[in-house]
Amino acid sequence: MTAPILRAQDVTMVFGGLTALSEVSLTLDRGQIVGLIGPNGAGKTTFFNCLTGLYTPTNGQVLLDGTQLPSDPAHVTIAGIARTFQNIRLFPNMTAVENVMVGRHARMKQGPIATIFRGPRFRKGETDARTRAKELLDFAGIGRSGDELARNLPYGDQRRLEIARALATDPKVLLLDEPTAGMNPQETEATRQLIFKIRDLGISVVVIEHDTKFIFSLCDHVSVLVQGKLLVEGTPEAVRTDPRVIEAYLGKPPEEVQAEVQHAAELVGEHGDKGVGQ
Amino acid sequence: MSEKTFFTNPAVSRVLGVAGAVLAVIAAMLPWSTFLLNKGAYPDKATLQFFDAPFELTGFRWELLIIGVVALVCAVAKVPAQRRVLRGLGAGIFAIGLINFGFIASAGGGLGAVTALDGTFAFGSVAALVAGVLLVLATIGQPLEEIPRWSTKLPTPVAYLGLVVSFAALLYVVSLTLTAGGQGGAASPYSGPMFLSFLGFAGGMFAGAAGLGVLKWISRLSEQHRVFSIVVLLLCALSLPFTDAGSEYWMTVAANIGVYAATAIGLNIVVGLAGLLDLGYVAFLGIGAFVAANLSGAAASQLGIHLPFYLVVIISAAIAGIFGAIVGSPTLRVRGDYLAIVTLAFGEIFQIAARNNIGGLTGGSNAMPNIPALEWFDGTAFNESITLFGAKLPSGVLYYFLIVLLIAAVMTVFANLKNSRMGRAWIAIREDEDAARAMGIKTGQAKILAFLCGAVLAGIAGAVFAHKTSTVSYESFLFMESVTLLAAVILGGMGSIPGAVLGASLLFVLPEKLREFSDYRLLIFGLALILIMRFRPQGLIPDAHRRAELAGEDAEGHTLQDKPGGDEPEQPKPQEVPAR
Amino acid sequence: MTTLLQQLVYGLILGGTVGLIALGYTMVYGIVQLINFAHGEIFMVGAFGALATFTWVIPEGVKGTWYITLPLMVIAGAVVSMVIALIIERLAYKPLRNAPRLAPLITALGVSVALKEAVRIWYPGATAPLPFPKEFLTGSIELGSILIPKTGLLIIVVAVVLTVLLQVYINTSRMGRAMRATAQDPDTARLMGINPDRTIVLTFAIGAVLAGVAGVLYGVHINNISIDIGFQNGIFAFTAAVLGGIGSIRGAVIGGFVIGLVKTIAGQYFPGGTQYDYVWIFVVLIAVLVFRPQGLFGETERVRA
Repeated sequence: MTAPILRAQDVTMVFGGLTALSEVSLTLDRGQIVGLIGPNGAGKTTFFNCLTGLYTPTNGQVLLDGTQLPSDPAHVTIAGIARTFQNIRLFPNMTAVENVMVGRHARMKQGPIATIFRGPRFRKGETDARTRAKELLDFAGIGRSGDELARNLPYGDQRRLEIARALATDPKVLLLDEPTAGMNPQETEATRQLIFKIRDLGISVVVIEHDTKFIFSLCDHVSVLVQGKLLVEGTPEAVRTDPRVIEAYLGKPPEEVQAEVQHAAELVGEHGDKGVGQ
Repeated sequence: MSEKTFFTNPAVSRVLGVAGAVLAVIAAMLPWSTFLLNKGAYPDKATLQFFDAPFELTGFRWELLIIGVVALVCAVAKVPAQRRVLRGLGAGIFAIGLINFGFIASAGGGLGAVTALDGTFAFGSVAALVAGVLLVLATIGQPLEEIPRWSTKLPTPVAYLGLVVSFAALLYVVSLTLTAGGQGGAASPYSGPMFLSFLGFAGGMFAGAAGLGVLKWISRLSEQHRVFSIVVLLLCALSLPFTDAGSEYWMTVAANIGVYAATAIGLNIVVGLAGLLDLGYVAFLGIGAFVAANLSGAAASQLGIHLPFYLVVIISAAIAGIFGAIVGSPTLRVRGDYLAIVTLAFGEIFQIAARNNIGGLTGGSNAMPNIPALEWFDGTAFNESITLFGAKLPSGVLYYFLIVLLIAAVMTVFANLKNSRMGRAWIAIREDEDAARAMGIKTGQAKILAFLCGAVLAGIAGAVFAHKTSTVSYESFLFMESVTLLAAVILGGMGSIPGAVLGASLLFVLPEKLREFSDYRLLIFGLALILIMRFRPQGLIPDAHRRAELAGEDAEGHTLQDKPGGDEPEQPKPQEVPAR
Repeated sequence: MTTLLQQLVYGLILGGTVGLIALGYTMVYGIVQLINFAHGEIFMVGAFGALATFTWVIPEGVKGTWYITLPLMVIAGAVVSMVIALIIERLAYKPLRNAPRLAPLITALGVSVALKEAVRIWYPGATAPLPFPKEFLTGSIELGSILIPKTGLLIIVVAVVLTVLLQVYINTSRMGRAMRATAQDPDTARLMGINPDRTIVLTFAIGAVLAGVAGVLYGVHINNISIDIGFQNGIFAFTAAVLGGIGSIRGAVIGGFVIGLVKTIAGQYFPGGTQYDYVWIFVVLIAVLVFRPQGLFGETERVRA
């Protein structure tokens, strides 16, 4: 048993007088997929933002591989945490390959001088980055769309491209914010398989989702956030049957909630469509 | 899908097209003005009677005849993308008609001057206007065709030949454009309208060629043979002095344009790639120029040193770069519009400091005069005339050569930066700054670097500028110059190199040509900015990245245009992002 | 000591003018996030409108009677400014409402250049500075050894009064509520039955009226107007708006007074004197944007991911 790759301890986030997160802890072991569920406004995305340096937690700390994370998103990514966004945030007027190559940014070492004079080492770096980007596109199943502008890709492919772009940063931990929002069942299943493939590469994954069925069939471990607090955590089996989850979080018989959650996911999906191209 | 209207009938379109083309040819031979204008016969025998001397057509009537004949051929023969071609040509014909119509009418006589007055008739311009309208009407019945794609899989020698011919033609057009209408001012009182007519002619022909897919073919061909194209293009640019444009005056104009084009490319890094609006950019050109003036032994310089030119360039670039980094540093905390204001503030501070002769470095209102001319290795001063390949070239030509090389260098730097880790980071920041940070890009550093690179290029251009003009005054670096540079970048197309050169050329040639309208220069400039933003925000030569965007906008643009008719069929939109 | 107090008075007078212009910047930016570069020129146009009214409309007999002439000129300036601003809004800005943000900003630059040039070309004699009528309202009030020009006092009083009225209007009236709602979130405002277009037009109109009034009072005080007064005062006003916190009414006016004081104090006491007094305003502008971009009275922006 090795030490966990990511450990968040008592993360608390206060905006003005509003406590968005209160002492949330999460542990992610190597090669694990952890799910984070909770109703709207439970603080899931806020928690992600604390993990990625977009917010500095008011209290508590986040350790990646035993070291404290820096408080700037760029440095967090360099340290090894990559993320996708709830509303797709690609670079709309760049091609798919270029989007992924941007992900390689931190792993390339080319200064302005080398860039201007384009020596052989510069060119090799460029070629390597491009090759790696194409591999990743193939890995994500959109290898044929490499030269399309991101904004012209179909919705599902945009989500995959975002994942490929995140993988290009060579992460140890990948955070996915609602990766299947707005997808149809086939696409959702394909995404599930993709996440398994990512796990098999040795990358640990944290997933936020509304679709509880998706989460329970995907994750090794599930945490439930309600009103900024960690309500329950455990195996999918344990969480699914936990009466507190059904009562406090779901509040209603599971089937009804399932329908609602589905509906919410659809709404988010529609909203997400506008995400790219703004 | 399409409603039947008068114009959707192919026979009608055909008749309209042929009629328009024929009318354009006739218009070329009609008299254009009912009386002799004050400053002499205008334009080019335009007061001649019908068919008086049809084979002595010159100037805009000659242009009109050519474009009319081309239109006739295209309307009769089955050329590919016929409607696109005819629409372009028709717009050109309309432009020629409108420019001369407006000029003759406003130069005296009002509408009478261009129709009938005191028993004389002159319907040339009216006929040209109608011809243009007919040609455009002939194309609105059906949606425009796809631009044809010509194969670029050619044997290398053929491809090379094609490129050489294309670029030589381009050189010829550039030379014609520069000299069209002659030197502005008293020497040739009608240079303004004649130049604009030529622009209308060239624009129409280019639009026609674009419709045929020729321009795209050249651009793809030159991308395939990149190195060869660059060499040929460079040679073409260097041989401009051997054409009609090779007089001292035009060399000076071309060199001035060149300095601003190089500066505009530098600005393009900041604005076009990184998406940061810089409203004080001309300050870096000024810093480069003043540094160069002080280090090159200008009489008013208190330093009293005269360093070799290459050192001067390096120091100018370095100092401008340092200031660039300083001006850029607020980007760490300031975003968007606010940043634009910070840059404006820095630009104003520079201008006030220069006006007040800060540290005795700028000469204040006395400027820094008598900056020594550069010298070639054999001691030839750059402002002397030289003999090259048996041709006597005018003075100033060496500066022209220097500036062509400067532009080539700046273009290379820009292109290399753009297609690199750094360039991608800049574009990513422009597209979505938060997402860029999440990709591990240190956005603050990247933005400061963009400012620094842009400032270095401007600093180099400034050093050349100082020697070229031999006098540097703060008046060359006012807010309006920053706005003009920005406008050049935007007019040409943000992020696009040919765009920046074209934009700078237009914005700095037009005032030279339109001296008699100089009073209206800035007014037209302001209105043009508004109109560009409204109707063609992507610029004249959009960057490849934005070109795909343009495809969508283009279709929308046409539907908008067609809507007033009410009965126009909605064009099928190109595939957009499908919802799910 | 006297010099200092006298400079303070001049600073407040300049500040009143700048504050009135700043209100337009702050309101327009608050509602459409546009730095309306042309706003300074609206101020200039107002001054010219009033001058035209004085020259060609007001009969000779009453030109010296300040209580007739001045109100007429103020109204004329305000109306001219408003009409021009509304035309600009309709023709130049409205079509770009959903364009990328650079587009309206560049359009605003174009409008600014075009307006200034239009006045220069078509207003008779505007190629040089024009004298503004000063027959009425001359003299100063003496306060010990300090002189307060009556025209200057007028500017300060008008600035304060109009600001208070505007604040009350925005806080209590129906349209004021609509403006605040649109500034917060135009989409939601639309859902609540507010017509954002009408609200935006109203915002432009109010800003322009205030700028027009400022233009007239400026002319009366300085006795001299030129086409260049717009750009510079516009930049000062923008600085004031940012200093006070974009979107804050009282912030804009207080910012205006601060700017006025900075300029006069710097011109008197700082190195370089009046040659460099503008520089200090730009320094303040940069410092505020870098260290406190929300201004003195603005709210902190919350990061949204």
